[in-house]
Amino acid sequence: MHYAIRRILGIIPVLFFTWTIVFGVIQLIPGDPVNLMLAGVPASAEVRENERRRLGLDRPIIERYVTFLGRALRGDLGESYRSRQPVSKMISEQASSTLQLAAGGLAVGLTVGLLLGMLAGLMPNTWVDTLCMLVALAGVSLPSFWIGMMLIYVFGMTLAWVPIVGSGFSALILPSITVGLFVAGGFARLVRSSIIDAMGQDYIRTARAKGLSRFSIAFKHALRNALIPPVTLLGIQIAVLIGGAVVTENVFARPGLGTMLVEAVLNKDLPLVQALVVYTTAAYVIINLVVDLLYGLIDPRVQAGRS
Amino acid sequence: MRKLMMTTALALSLAPILAHAQSSDFTIVFADDSTSDVTFDPRVTQSRHEEQVIAQIFDQLVVGDADGKQYPGLAKSWKMAPDNTSVTLVLRDDVTFHDGTKFNAEAVKFTFDTIVDPATGSQGAIDMIGPYAGADILGPYEIRINYKRAFPTAVDSFTENELSIVSPTAVKTLGGTGFAQAPVGTGPFKFVSWEKGKQVVLERNPDYKWGASFYSTQGPSKVARIIHRYIPNAGTRVAALEAGEVQLTDLTPPLDMKRLADSGKFTTMTGIAAGVPLSLMFNTSKGALQDIKVRQAFITAVDRPRLSQNLFFGFAKAAWGPLAPSTPAYWKGVEEYYKFNRDTAGKLLDEAGWKMGSGGIREKDGQPLQIYYPTLLEPETSVALQADLKRVGIDLKVENVTKAKQDELILTNGYDVGGIRWVYNDPAVLRIPFDSNNIPEPGKFKFNWMRWKNADLDKTLASAATASSPEDRLKLYADAQKMIMDAAVFMPIHDQIETIALTNKITGARFAPGNWQLRLYDVRPAS
Repeated sequence: MHYAIRRILGIIPVLFFTWTIVFGVIQLIPGDPVNLMLAGVPASAEVRENERRRLGLDRPIIERYVTFLGRALRGDLGESYRSRQPVSKMISEQASSTLQLAAGGLAVGLTVGLLLGMLAGLMPNTWVDTLCMLVALAGVSLPSFWIGMMLIYVFGMTLAWVPIVGSGFSALILPSITVGLFVAGGFARLVRSSIIDAMGQDYIRTARAKGLSRFSIAFKHALRNALIPPVTLLGIQIAVLIGGAVVTENVFARPGLGTMLVEAVLNKDLPLVQALVVYTTAAYVIINLVVDLLYGLIDPRVQAGRS
Repeated sequence: MRKLMMTTALALSLAPILAHAQSSDFTIVFADDSTSDVTFDPRVTQSRHEEQVIAQIFDQLVVGDADGKQYPGLAKSWKMAPDNTSVTLVLRDDVTFHDGTKFNAEAVKFTFDTIVDPATGSQGAIDMIGPYAGADILGPYEIRINYKRAFPTAVDSFTENELSIVSPTAVKTLGGTGFAQAPVGTGPFKFVSWEKGKQVVLERNPDYKWGASFYSTQGPSKVARIIHRYIPNAGTRVAALEAGEVQLTDLTPPLDMKRLADSGKFTTMTGIAAGVPLSLMFNTSKGALQDIKVRQAFITAVDRPRLSQNLFFGFAKAAWGPLAPSTPAYWKGVEEYYKFNRDTAGKLLDEAGWKMGSGGIREKDGQPLQIYYPTLLEPETSVALQADLKRVGIDLKVENVTKAKQDELILTNGYDVGGIRWVYNDPAVLRIPFDSNNIPEPGKFKFNWMRWKNADLDKTLASAATASSPEDRLKLYADAQKMIMDAAVFMPIHDQIETIALTNKITGARFAPGNWQLRLYDVRPAS
C-alpha cells in the first residue's frame, strides 16, 4: 500500500519534467508557427500579425511557459493553435478510436502470441517450433503498411469479407490483425523462451513425478511462472499501441492519437503536442504501475518481497 | 451455416454503405486524401480540403463554372460602378439558410463585415475580398458593396468559395469556433456531423431551389447524403473505390487513373489547377544563379514534356509560364520560351564561363557548379531534374526538408532554388511571388524567393489589378508574364492536377472554378 502511494506521488515530478522538456524542445524547432499553420498558403502581413497576437506569440517565452503551467495545473490544457478547440476535447474525441484499435490489436496479439509461444515452448526444436517462430518473426519484421495492404487486397477486395474503411466492429478486424501480428511476434518469442526455461525447473519434474496431466503441468505450473517477462513486455506494447499505431491508422484511414500527434508536431500545434505528450506519459506511467501490481497477482512472492 | 452467419453479419454492418444502391437513399462517399480539416467556416479557411466540404454547404453571390463563365447565384443581377469602386447587387428573395434564417442584404453585409474583422481570423477570404470599405443596404434584397479604390475584379471575387454567404444567426449563436464546427449556409447540402480525422456527413437540403442555371438538376439534389471520408493513403483510397465502399477518390495516383479508366467500371476526371504550376524560383541574390545565362541554361537543360510524361503518364502536362493555362489571363506566349535543348544549355554555360570539369560537373575558378535545392515537394520530380541537369554539368543538390527547415532556409537566404505551387483562380496571384515588397526578411516570411526586384513588373502588376477594362487587364498580365519569362528567374515544371476517379454508376460531378474542388450537387445515378 505504502509502495503504491509512493509510486503514484512519483508521477507528479515525471509529468512536470516531461512538460518542461517538451515545451523547451518545441521552442527550439525553427520556423514560425504562423507560417506552419498557413501551410505555405500566401497571406498578407496583416493576416500574419493577427494570427501572432491571437496565439499569444508576441508575448515573451517565460510568460507563455508560466501561463501554460498555471493553466495546466487547473486542468485546462489550452486551445489548439489550428482548430481553436480545447485540446482536451480534441483528444477525448480521438481516444476511443485509439483505444478500440489498441484493444483489438491486443486481443489478436495475446491470443496468437500465447498460442504460438506455448506451442513452440512445449515442443522446442521440432518443426512446430520452427513454424511458430517463423510466423512470429514475420509478425515483428514485416512492415505494418505491407501487412495492412495485403489484408486489404485479400480480405477487403478479392474476397470482400470485410469493409476496408467502413465503420463499426467489422471495420476494426483488419487493422486489429495488422497491429496484433506485431504484438504477437514479440510476445510469442518471449513466451516460448520463458516456457522452455520453466519446463526445465525442478518443480515441473516434481509435478511430472506426481503424475499430473500434461495440460495441468503446462498451464497451471509452467505458464504462470513463465508469464512475468511477457507481462512486462505487454505493458510496454500497450503503451506503444496508444501512440504508435500511426502507420496502421494511415493505411486503414482511422483517426487516432498517433496520427494526431504526428500532425500536431508537423503543424507546430504547441498546445496539442504538449497535451498529447502529457496524456501519453500519464498512460505509460499508469500502465507500468498496473504491470507492477500484476506481478503480485501472478507471483505472490513479488508482493511478499516488497512488504 | 457459419458462412451464412458471417455474410449476414457483414451485410448488416455494410448496410449503410451499400444503401446508395437504392435511389431513395442515394448516398455517395467522397474519399479525400487529407485528415487535417479544422474549420468549415468559408470566411476563415485557406485549405483546399476544407473548401471541398464548404463548396457543398454554401452558395456564393455569383456562381462561376469551370468554363470561366459567371451565372446568377444568390444575386439575381449586379452592376459595377463605372469607376470600379462599388458593385450594386439585387439579391434573390426566396432563399433561406439551413437554420431557417432568411437570406437578405443584412446577411451579405454581415458576412463581408466579419471577414475584415480581425477577430474572425480570416486567412483566405481577407486576401480575396479586395479593398472592401463597407456595404450599404439599399433595400431588403439590394446592397451596394464599396471599395477603398478601384477593384475591377470584384464580381470575380464573389464567385470564390471563401466569399460564400454565412448565416448571421448561426454565427451569433455558435460563435466563430462553434460555427467552424457546425457550418450553416444556403447550399444544396446541410451539415450533419463531423468525426474528426474520419468523416463529415452532409444531407440534402430539401428546400433547395436556387441552384445556378447550368446544372441539369433543378430543385433538391438527387443525392440524399454525402459522406466525406478522409483516407490519407492513396492505395487505400483506390482499394476502397474498387471495393465499392467509396464512389469518388481525389488525388488518384496516375497509374491507377489509367488502369481504372481502362477497366470500364470507372470514369476519370483530370482538373488542371488554376494558379501557379509546380515551379522553381531561382535565388538571384547570390551564387551561380545571379547570372541569367546560367538560369537560362538550367531551364533549357530540362526536358519538361518527357519529365511530365514519365511521372504522370500524360495526366499532367509540362508547364511553360508562371500561370497555369487554366488561369484567367494566361498568356500563350510563354510556350515559346526555353524549349529543351541540351546543346543550347551547354553553350550558355560555356559563355558564362562554366567549363566542363572532371567528373562531368562544370567548374569556374576552381568552384564546381553546385546548386542547392531544399524542398518538401515531389521528390520524384527533384530526381528527374537532377538527372537532366547532370547531363549538362550542373550538380543539383536536392535535400528533402521539413516545412520548418525550409522556412528557416528561406528566411536566412540559405538556398539557391526554392520549389513552389499554388491553387488560385486569379492572375493576381503573381503579386505574391513576384512583387519586390515580398522578398523574405528576418522575421517576415514572404514568397519572393527569387529575391528579385523589378520596379516595372511591380507597376504592371499593380495596374493590372486595378485595370478598368478586361482588354487592358489581359494586356498588362501578358506584359507581366513576358517580363518574368525574359528574366528567366522562374522555372515552371508541370501543371498541378487534381485526378478524380469515380464509379461509372454515377454522373454529374463537376469541377468548381480553379479545377480543384468538385461540386456534388448535380450528381445522379447514371442510367
